[in-house]
Amino acid sequence: MKLLIVEDQPKTGHYLRQGLTEAGFNTELVADGSTGQHLALTGDYALLILDVMLPGRDGWQILQAVRSAGLDTPVLFLTAKDAVEDRVHGLELGADDYLVKPFAFSELLARVRSLLRRGSTTPQETSLQLADLRLDLIRRRVERSGQRIDLTAKEFALLEMLLRRQGEVLPKSLIASQVWDMNFDSDTNVIEVAIRRLRLKIDDEFPNKLIHTVRGMGYVLEERPA
Amino acid sequence: MPRLSLSTRLALLFAACTAVVSLFAGVLFSRASEAHFIELDQQLLDGKLIGLRRALHDIQSSESQVKLADELSRQADLSLRITGSDGQRWYDSSASLPDQLPQQSGLSTLNDDSTDYRVLNAPLFVDKPDSPQLTLLLDITHHQHFLQRMQHLIWLTVGLSALATALLGAWAARSGLRPLRRMSAVASGVSAQSLNARLPEADMPPELAEMAHHFNAMLGRLDDSFQRLSAFSADIAHELRTPLSNLLTHTQVTLTRPRAIEDYREALHSNLEELQWMAQLVNDMLYLAKADHGLLTPKCEPLELGAEVDFLLDFFAPLAEDSQIALSREGSATFKGDRNMLRRAFSNLLDNALRFTPAFGQIRVAIVDAPDSINLRFENTGEPVSEVLLPRLFDRFYRADPARRKGSSEHAGLGLAITRSIIQAHGGEISCTSVQQWTSFIIHFDKPAK
Repeated sequence: MKLLIVEDQPKTGHYLRQGLTEAGFNTELVADGSTGQHLALTGDYALLILDVMLPGRDGWQILQAVRSAGLDTPVLFLTAKDAVEDRVHGLELGADDYLVKPFAFSELLARVRSLLRRGSTTPQETSLQLADLRLDLIRRRVERSGQRIDLTAKEFALLEMLLRRQGEVLPKSLIASQVWDMNFDSDTNVIEVAIRRLRLKIDDEFPNKLIHTVRGMGYVLEERPA
Repeated sequence: MPRLSLSTRLALLFAACTAVVSLFAGVLFSRASEAHFIELDQQLLDGKLIGLRRALHDIQSSESQVKLADELSRQADLSLRITGSDGQRWYDSSASLPDQLPQQSGLSTLNDDSTDYRVLNAPLFVDKPDSPQLTLLLDITHHQHFLQRMQHLIWLTVGLSALATALLGAWAARSGLRPLRRMSAVASGVSAQSLNARLPEADMPPELAEMAHHFNAMLGRLDDSFQRLSAFSADIAHELRTPLSNLLTHTQVTLTRPRAIEDYREALHSNLEELQWMAQLVNDMLYLAKADHGLLTPKCEPLELGAEVDFLLDFFAPLAEDSQIALSREGSATFKGDRNMLRRAFSNLLDNALRFTPAFGQIRVAIVDAPDSINLRFENTGEPVSEVLLPRLFDRFYRADPARRKGSSEHAGLGLAITRSIIQAHGGEISCTSVQQWTSFIIHFDKPAK
C-alpha cells in the first residue's frame, strides 16, 4: 500500500512521511507539482495527499489530471486556506477529504485510514472482538469474559468505533464527529467523560485493560502485554 | 467649477434679496412720482385751456390778441399753437416749437431735441365739429431731469444696499456658521489616537444639535470598536505569549543536558498540549475573523430546534451527570439555519453553563415559538454575574475570572464571541441577563415576514 505526498514545505513533508511510514505505510514524498502529477498518473498509489499551493502545478490541477485520466485514487487535500469556496471547489473537483492547517497528526492518520478503508469492501460483520471482549452487532450486546455488560446507545456506538478501528489512535475530535456527529471543535471534555464511563464498564473489573489513553493524541483500543 | 463657500453663497443671496427689494421700491416710487407729475400737468393745462378758450372767444378782435398774449405771458413755460380745421397752422406763440406735434386729442408727451413737452390737444369750440384745434405745449424738461436724477439715485441705492448687505451678510453667515467650523476643527483633529474628542452638544444651535449628537455618537462607536480591536490584537499577543514562553523554556531546559528518554517524552507531551491549545486559539480566531468579514454564510436547512437542543443535551449529559447537574428542555420551533453552526453556538452556551453551574444545579433550555419571533433561553443556576460584566461576556478573550485558564481543550475565552458571531450571521441577537440565582442567555430571531 503506497501513499504519495506532494508537499513543498520541507519540514511538513518530512514529518508527514516519517509519521506515515512509522504508522506502517509505504510513502513517497515529492516537493513540486509537476513531478507530483507525473507520479500520480504513472505510479500505483492507494492514496494521494496533496498540498493546494505547490510550485509547478497546484494541488487542484493535479487532482483534475488524475480524475480526467480516469483514476479514482482517493485524494486528501492539505491547505492553509480555510475559505469555504476553496473547500467546495476541492470537493467539486473530486477530492475525498480536506484538512486545514494547523491539523493534528492523529487526525490526519485517522482520516488516511478512513479513506483507505473506504475502497475495500469489508464483509458484513455480525460481531466484533478483541481479546475476551465481544460485541454482538445484531443483538446489540456486549460481553467480556462471557459476562454481559449493559451499555447505553452512545457507549455502544463508541465501543463499536473503537473495536472497528482497534490499534488505531483515535483523536477526540474524530470520536466526537463519528459517534456524536459533532463536526466542529467541541468541548472534548465530554469525550473524556464518556471514555471514562466506558472504561468503568469494560475495563475496571478486568486485569488486562483494553482502552488506553495516548496522551495528547487520543484513545486506542488494543491488547497490550501486561 | 469649485463650489462657492456657504458664507459667500449666503452673502450673495442676501445681497440679491436686498437689490430686488430696493429696486422694486425704487421703480414703484419713480412710477408714482411720474404719475403725480402727469396729474399736475393735466390740471395746469386744463386750467389754461379754459382761460385760452375764453380769450380766443372772438379770434378776430384785436382785444383778444392782447388777452391771448397776456394769458400766455403769465406762464413762461407754456406755448400755444392754433391749427385750423383744415390742418393749416394759424398761430405759433413761439418760433422754436417743433413742426410735428402729436395729433391725438388729450394729454401726451413729446420729446424734441433736448426739450420735453407735455402736449394737450383740444378743440377751440367744444360744440363745433370743424373747430380749429388748440395745442398747448408745456415745457417739462426740469421734471424729466428730476425723474432722471431720482432714477440714478435709485440705482445707486440698489447697488450700495446690495453691497452693504453682502458684506453684512458675509459677516453674519460667518458668525452664524461658527459651530460648523468648530465641528470641522474637531473632525480634523480626530485620529486613531484621539477618538475621545467630542463636540459640546449643549452649545450647538438646535439645527446643528442633532448633527452634533450623531457626530458624537459616531465617534463613540468608532472609539469603542477601535478600543476593542486594539484590545483584541493586544490580547492575541498576550494569549500567545504564555504558551510560547512555556514552549521555549521547557524545550531549552530539556535540551541543556542529556536526559532519560522518559523526560524527553514528558517534555514533548507538555509541548504538545501547549501547541494544541495554540492551534485551537488560531482556529477560533480565524473563525471570528471570517465572521467579521461576513464570510460566515450559513446554510439554510429547516431545523427542529428542540431536537437540536436535545441532541446537544445528550452529548453533554455525561459531563452534567458527573456534577449532578439536571438538564432539561421545553418547547420547540422550526428554524431555517445551518445545523453545524448552530450546534456549535448552542454547544458553546451549554459548555459555558456547565462550567459555571455548581454541583446539584440546573441547566434548562426554553424555546418559545412566538408568531413573529423565535426565542431561545439557555439558563443555568449559579452565582449571578455582575451587571457591569454582562455586556462584556461576549467580548473576545473575556473571562469572568481572569485566573481561569487551564484545561488544554478549553476555548481561550472565544466561545461566547463565536456564539454571538454565529447568531448574528443567522440574523439574530443574543443577550445575557442575570437575576438572582439564574443566569440566562437569550437568543432572539425575528421570523421573516410572510
